[in-house]
Amino acid sequence: MTYLDYAATSPLLPEVIDAMSAAERRYFANASALHTPGHLAMNEIEHTRGLLAEMINAEPEEIIFTSGASESNNTVIRTFEGHKIITSPLEHHSIIEAAVIYGGEEEPALYSYMLANNEIGEIMPVKEQVKKAHKEGAFAHSDLTQVLGKLPIDVKELDLDYATFSAHKIGGPIGVGALYVRKGVPFKPLIIGGNQEKKRRGGTYNTVGIIGFGAALEHLKKVNSWSLYDTKVRELRDKLAERILTEIPGSSLNTELERDKSLPNILNASFEAAEGESIQLYLDAEGVIVSTGSACAAGDAKPSHVLMAKTGDAEVAHSSIRFSFNPDNTEADIEKVMEVLPGIVNRLQQISTVTMRSK
Amino acid sequence: MEGEDWIYSEKVKDHFMKPRNFLFGDESQFDANAVGQVGNPICGDQMKMYLKIENNKIVDVRWKTYGCASAIASTSALSELVKGKTLDEALKISAKDIDDYLGNLPKHKFHCSVLGHEALEDAVNKYRFTPEK
Repeated sequence: MTYLDYAATSPLLPEVIDAMSAAERRYFANASALHTPGHLAMNEIEHTRGLLAEMINAEPEEIIFTSGASESNNTVIRTFEGHKIITSPLEHHSIIEAAVIYGGEEEPALYSYMLANNEIGEIMPVKEQVKKAHKEGAFAHSDLTQVLGKLPIDVKELDLDYATFSAHKIGGPIGVGALYVRKGVPFKPLIIGGNQEKKRRGGTYNTVGIIGFGAALEHLKKVNSWSLYDTKVRELRDKLAERILTEIPGSSLNTELERDKSLPNILNASFEAAEGESIQLYLDAEGVIVSTGSACAAGDAKPSHVLMAKTGDAEVAHSSIRFSFNPDNTEADIEKVMEVLPGIVNRLQQISTVTMRSK
Repeated sequence: MEGEDWIYSEKVKDHFMKPRNFLFGDESQFDANAVGQVGNPICGDQMKMYLKIENNKIVDVRWKTYGCASAIASTSALSELVKGKTLDEALKISAKDIDDYLGNLPKHKFHCSVLGHEALEDAVNKYRFTPEK
């Protein structure tokens, strides 16, 4: 199988599986309990907290563990219930939909701008938005789900008040995330009814999941993930982009490849007159796993809001495919894609009702 | 890939992976005397049915589709269903018939079979209401 959907989720790293299966046996006790097994479990949780804090230049007590990025995003937005919420059109639905429900007119406002988008990998001028927010007396949040492990993160340097993280995009388990909350900023818990996380997030600690998150963070450090993405992964991504453009008629890129314009692991391309879900499923039948911004695939009436915001062209959105890499990908994966993709796209173009503009 | 791992029925998968009666490339290759079209690429799917009609009977059929697996499978299935039918018989083929033939599309994809039915209707209506050339 040629897996190129790492931005959707990544398989558990071997060391994460080991850490979690050991933890299932060793750290089963409720981490909030006063007894020794509880205390030992809590130590492990604090270890992960410390690791993440160190990696993003925060204090450990500024990290809250959650069930994932959507919860982290929802929590921040809901903290500003009734207040102005200013976001970019490229945000994740857990920001956009929460902002529709909870947004209002009160000040201070919340600015929520992701540093890099998940569908096209675009890097956005978050620092400028943060500056603007603080100048107005507003607060600033950034969804850094796609960024962890790909680009270095410094929440102090970015001057953020809140930031969202997820474990399963870096080889950790699904169902674990984190929220950075700067000391002294407004906060309203989303899940109430417990003393966990200093009363900021109720619910029994997900000890095993958090330990898995920690093992994934250790891995990032061990392999110097940031440099791997900047070199090996970027080269693969750029190579696929170049081959698609030269070998597939009607192809275009929705990702800008320049170093400061996009994450190195994401490539979004559109194929004129060929629909994304069909491309995705024909690729799937060949063992090549990708995702699409086409409406059909998501079971939605509208195509990707991100591609619509970026291109304003529904046909481009419906015909889009996202390839997302990780350091395990090799040249052979690119070969495999280019062995099957041109034929798939050509066949769809030949039976398409849409006449190609570019020939 | 096993059928049960797929979001679609075996029949949909079969018609998607091995579509029948599609019109590959230049449409002038097929000598149709009735052509119907529905949908819009902006909405994500568009279908075109090409019919060869003799003595009120569909003797041959081709199609083109821009769309997802359900759209491709729906037009492919429809092309099998209409072949050899009289125009009146063909018009009786409903969206539900296409859906049943395919072993049911996922609910949110049912509109693909509706589009198939409408493309056929459009072709037959154009044929009936166009004066003899």
